[in-house]
Amino acid sequence: MSEIVFKNICKSFGDVKVIENLDLTLKDGEFTVLVGASGCGKTTLLRMIAGIGPATSGEIFMDGEEISDIPPGKRGVAMVFQNYAIYPTMTVRGNIDFGLKNKKVPKAERDRLVQEVAETVGLTPYLDRKPSALSGGQRQRVALARAMVKKPKVFLMDEPLSNLDAKLRGSMRSELIELHNRLKTSFVYVTHDQAEAMSMADTIILMDAGRIMQQASPEVIYNDPDNIFTARFIGTPPMNICRLKDGETYLGYRPEKVFFSTEKTDALYQRKAKILTREMLGSETLYKVQILEPDFAEDKGLSVMTKSFETRYMPGEMLNICVRREHLYFFNKERNRIRKGDVPDIETYYRMAEGTV
Amino acid sequence: MSKAKNNASPAKRKCGPRLMDRLRPYLMIAPCIAFLVVFTLYPVVNMIYLSFFEYDLLTPKKFVGLNNYYRLFFVNVDFWEAFKHTFYYTVAEVVLLITLGLLLAMWVRKSTFLNAIAQRVMFLPHLVAMLTVAYVFQWLMDDRSGLFNAVLNFFHLPGLNWLNSSKTALMSVVIVSIWKNVGYYALILLSSLKAIPAEIYEAADLDDARPLLKFFKITVPMLSPQIFFLLVTITMGSFKVFESIRVLTGGGPGSSTDVLVYYIYRYAISNMKYGYACAAGTILFVILMVFMVVYFRLPGKRVHYQ
Repeated sequence: MSEIVFKNICKSFGDVKVIENLDLTLKDGEFTVLVGASGCGKTTLLRMIAGIGPATSGEIFMDGEEISDIPPGKRGVAMVFQNYAIYPTMTVRGNIDFGLKNKKVPKAERDRLVQEVAETVGLTPYLDRKPSALSGGQRQRVALARAMVKKPKVFLMDEPLSNLDAKLRGSMRSELIELHNRLKTSFVYVTHDQAEAMSMADTIILMDAGRIMQQASPEVIYNDPDNIFTARFIGTPPMNICRLKDGETYLGYRPEKVFFSTEKTDALYQRKAKILTREMLGSETLYKVQILEPDFAEDKGLSVMTKSFETRYMPGEMLNICVRREHLYFFNKERNRIRKGDVPDIETYYRMAEGTV
Repeated sequence: MSKAKNNASPAKRKCGPRLMDRLRPYLMIAPCIAFLVVFTLYPVVNMIYLSFFEYDLLTPKKFVGLNNYYRLFFVNVDFWEAFKHTFYYTVAEVVLLITLGLLLAMWVRKSTFLNAIAQRVMFLPHLVAMLTVAYVFQWLMDDRSGLFNAVLNFFHLPGLNWLNSSKTALMSVVIVSIWKNVGYYALILLSSLKAIPAEIYEAADLDDARPLLKFFKITVPMLSPQIFFLLVTITMGSFKVFESIRVLTGGGPGSSTDVLVYYIYRYAISNMKYGYACAAGTILFVILMVFMVVYFRLPGKRVHYQ
């Protein structure tokens, strides 16, 4: 049981402030994914929990206890590093065993635990090998086994799958989800890959430049983004953002919510457009479309991405792009979301977005 | 393969070109081999050959069989003395240089401005000629006007005789050699030390490893190839120590710093007993061979190569 709370955390490297006055609560037992572009501070937060990169100021609580002064080995956390950081001079067994030995676990108990965990991750035949004689995927498993054997309160993972090939990454991803379901302990997982975050997380924490842009479940973060950054970070291709005719407000809609039509439809948002490119992906097709008369005059040549099951449209074709009222998002000039109730009259924005075809 | 052979024209199948093909690799390495033969193999063989003769470079040499070896081992006791001194010297050098080198490397491990300076300063003694070092230390270790005794006296401690006492002379030579070489060896270790990824230590922190354990379970094994290299080179170098002995003590006082190479030098150059010196040289050669064989067998799996 371990809820992790960050209070007023600051972190600087030299003169560079990476994180400023951050507050954050990670719920107990959840699979939390910290996601963001490189340099956004996600790994820094993870290292703070581990105790290997202390905060410059602020407090971190685990189960209500301030842990800043507790050494990494006593925090009840285990970490899987991006490049695994397994001990190259020890055998697989030695690697898994090392933490237990330091905790003075009796030999018989240690052997049982190592055997058990090796069984779980499928390393039993390799226990007496050196890491140099293992493949990348097997090394990854050693790192995982080393973390699991300690039965930690919190698993910390720093892009653990980024060094694996795509196929292995996919299978490890589902294995990690299973592992979390079985152990029911807290996982804190760092990645820059939004698809990984979406597929694994109970809660996603999206970060940018040391700030938290949104903390929510994958469904909420996808369907109900708080700001343009979130809307464009999550989902591929990202949400289309166009300025409305006042030049200050932004309209957004997801590529997969756009449909094409050659005549007028009942959709609220309709614009004349021309197909620029077509990318056939298999189950769906991506079209890059140029809006012929953008709402805001300066946005000349504005193009948007659309995703469709239709494959019959070809570059050069002229048609209407249509989006229904419920699929439209509005953002203010600070690039934050405008929801119903935030402004006296949301209908103004819908009127601005209304079809001009 | 066989098809290609059959296709070759009958003329070409004669020995000419094929001989050339076979010879080419040998021709390629010939200069290197010639160099080895002239400067390494021939001297060794000649040394062993001369060890069976009585020879003073002036009169014709006289075959004496194993007589030189007999005198070396059973008649003159000074060979064993020299061997003992060399052995002590080598053990002290190996232990102290590797230990201190490791400690120095650990000390200046972090990349800071001050450590960068410290590294350069550490390396400086290695650039100074042994002869210069020896003369400087002769003054430092002088029992009356030397700095070392002045410092000892300042703290009301009795001065030492350093190089002038048979009890401390060998130790004093070791001190000089350590001072001169430790920075160089520390630098070799330092470069490898810095190449150990920080994550491994962080993982060890998370595994609750105490500092001493991290040192012995991670740092030392990770440095094992370099430590092994040091072990081999320091052993070789120490067994062949000559220059510092020649300048600092001349083998004295008495025979307290007489080491093998100095012994050989004494017999060959001072006493003109060339054959006898060659016998001693052969023994030194054999001793080093034995050491190397043992070294390369013993650590085996304990040396971890990436």
